[in-house]
Amino acid sequence: MDIFLQQLVNGLTIGSMFALVALGYTMVYGVMRLINFAHGDMVAASAFVGLTIYTQVMGQATSLIAVIAIFLLAAVSMAVVGVILERVAYRPLREAPRLSAVVSALGASLVIQNGIMLIWGPQMRIFPELVPQVYWDLGGVVISLIQVIILALSLVLMIALYLFVEKTRMGAAIRASSIDQDAARLMGINVNSVIALIFIIGSSLGAVGGLFIGLYYRGITFNMGWQYGLYAFIAAIIGGIGNIPGAMLGGMLLGLFNAFIAGYVSSTWADAFTFILLIVILIVRPTGILGERVAEKV
Amino acid sequence: MKMGKMLSALVAISLLAVPAIADTLKVGVQAPITGSYANEGQGIENSVLLLAEQINAKGGVMGKQIEVITCDDQGTAMAAAICAKNLVNKGVSMVIGSYTSTCAQAAQKTYFKAGVLQTSDGTADDLTEHGYWTFFRNSFPNSAEADFAADYMVNVKKYQRIVVISDFSSYADGLGNAVEAAVKKLGGNVVSRDKIKADSQNFTPILTNIKSKKPDAIFFAGYYTDGGQLRAQQVALAIKADFIGGDANDNPDFAKLAGSAAKGAFIINVPTPEMLPYDVAKTFLADYKAKFGALPPSIWTIMNADGMRVIIHAMEQTKSFDTRKVADYLMNMKEPLPGITGPLQFAKDGNRIGSSYMTFEIQADGSYKVVHKQ
Repeated sequence: MDIFLQQLVNGLTIGSMFALVALGYTMVYGVMRLINFAHGDMVAASAFVGLTIYTQVMGQATSLIAVIAIFLLAAVSMAVVGVILERVAYRPLREAPRLSAVVSALGASLVIQNGIMLIWGPQMRIFPELVPQVYWDLGGVVISLIQVIILALSLVLMIALYLFVEKTRMGAAIRASSIDQDAARLMGINVNSVIALIFIIGSSLGAVGGLFIGLYYRGITFNMGWQYGLYAFIAAIIGGIGNIPGAMLGGMLLGLFNAFIAGYVSSTWADAFTFILLIVILIVRPTGILGERVAEKV
Repeated sequence: MKMGKMLSALVAISLLAVPAIADTLKVGVQAPITGSYANEGQGIENSVLLLAEQINAKGGVMGKQIEVITCDDQGTAMAAAICAKNLVNKGVSMVIGSYTSTCAQAAQKTYFKAGVLQTSDGTADDLTEHGYWTFFRNSFPNSAEADFAADYMVNVKKYQRIVVISDFSSYADGLGNAVEAAVKKLGGNVVSRDKIKADSQNFTPILTNIKSKKPDAIFFAGYYTDGGQLRAQQVALAIKADFIGGDANDNPDFAKLAGSAAKGAFIINVPTPEMLPYDVAKTFLADYKAKFGALPPSIWTIMNADGMRVIIHAMEQTKSFDTRKVADYLMNMKEPLPGITGPLQFAKDGNRIGSSYMTFEIQADGSYKVVHKQ
């Protein structure tokens, strides 16, 4: 039972990182019907930007305020990069066939990945230990401070995003644009601003995910975005791509699935089982777990 | 035609060097002077040049001055085989090198056939398994690290429940298997032998399983990039086991990755040059620094220097330049020669006896403290 609960905690921790990143994929897909392949590399870039902010801007301060400032600055930087990415790589292709945009996304992914390598080098960089290594033993199940922070902050961000999309006027504009862009335009919604907004939100959430990876694992490499991007992409599909609660659910489920497979079957086979799960989901329920709404309108 | 020209050029060169020919002891250096391991190769050449200069200043070896002939094997087996032929043709009586096991292996047979003594720091176990009487390993084989690690865990620390983890690379997997076998041979208890995927970062699921086996020691045979994260995640899961890392964990980034969890972790490796406690070592390092402006690049460089010293010592003891006699002496040394890297003595198969592996404990500031040695 201890092992089961411990794997549950492990799974929820990586699951919430997957979920944060998956939101970026799913929001962009929801409005633009585009898989933003550069998103995973934006996540990696965020960890490196966070590292540079820590060493250059914060003067290696490790206080709570410094940590919060790193999160804010990295999120803002990545939001800016996200908006630029949309303007340069996706907006000129909005009327083009969908394949062109996908190829552009792949190109953007390579540009960002190689950009990280050129700026920060090809070797593994070490993220500072900003969260003290504190843990609590709750009767056999150990939970560390960093896990609590990751779980809590992810949950807060996801609830805030859900409320924003469901309860505010801007959220309504996002939902309207995702159902039908032309109709939304006729209703007086500026779809360009909506798309810029989802890139801002998606990139900042990805930035937080990237910083979590840096804080949790400490070692960051220029090409790690591919791995996390792929997982988050699968999470978004499992939950139902285009569906925001679906991405959250998909991320958590994928994290748990991964932890239990690695724990009970074999850590080497965890990746293979993840892809088997993806195939099964695509066969049994192609729209994903919460994806019905998307299927109806297509 | 070209050959003819080259030959006549060679003859001309050797004629130029004629006055020395009869009186010199030719020492070959086969090392990667260029390529990825250039740093190490140049270190080996420098060490040999330094030793030759010092010995020559004292009157040489039984009156003969040492003449150093270097051949660059570029760290590739092909170039190594060519070097071997070249050096043999030039009439060397001993060859120092090469740095990599692969290159030492590619040249071994040629030296054996020509009766030329060879000493290399290659650690692959099979280097000494061919029965070549000409080959002497001046370092310690991979299996020696496993034996040392097993002895440390079973006999010194008296761990009751040992876990061995490696990744899937041939080095790490080989070391992991060797450690597991060595622990079992000493009657130790290996409760789990696990493998991780290198660079996968998330080791918590596998560590959670390991925790349920209540280990008191975790031996990790992989590389420092995974080792540092493994150690951090081990501590975060409150697994109260000692962490012992193999030699590939010996990198400053290990401590940085593990952060505050690095403290108390053990790493097993041969000492770095500046750690060597012997007087011979201190003198040699000082001389090396004075001549080349920096310390030798690694311990491997000076292991090779020791190889040369012991062969020359054997020549002087046997009062002979006959390589067969010298080899017999080396295989039957009664007293070890105090070396730069520790006592030098060889087994019949050309393996260096003993091992200089040490256990380092990582301190709070990331520095190493030697806690155990043989």
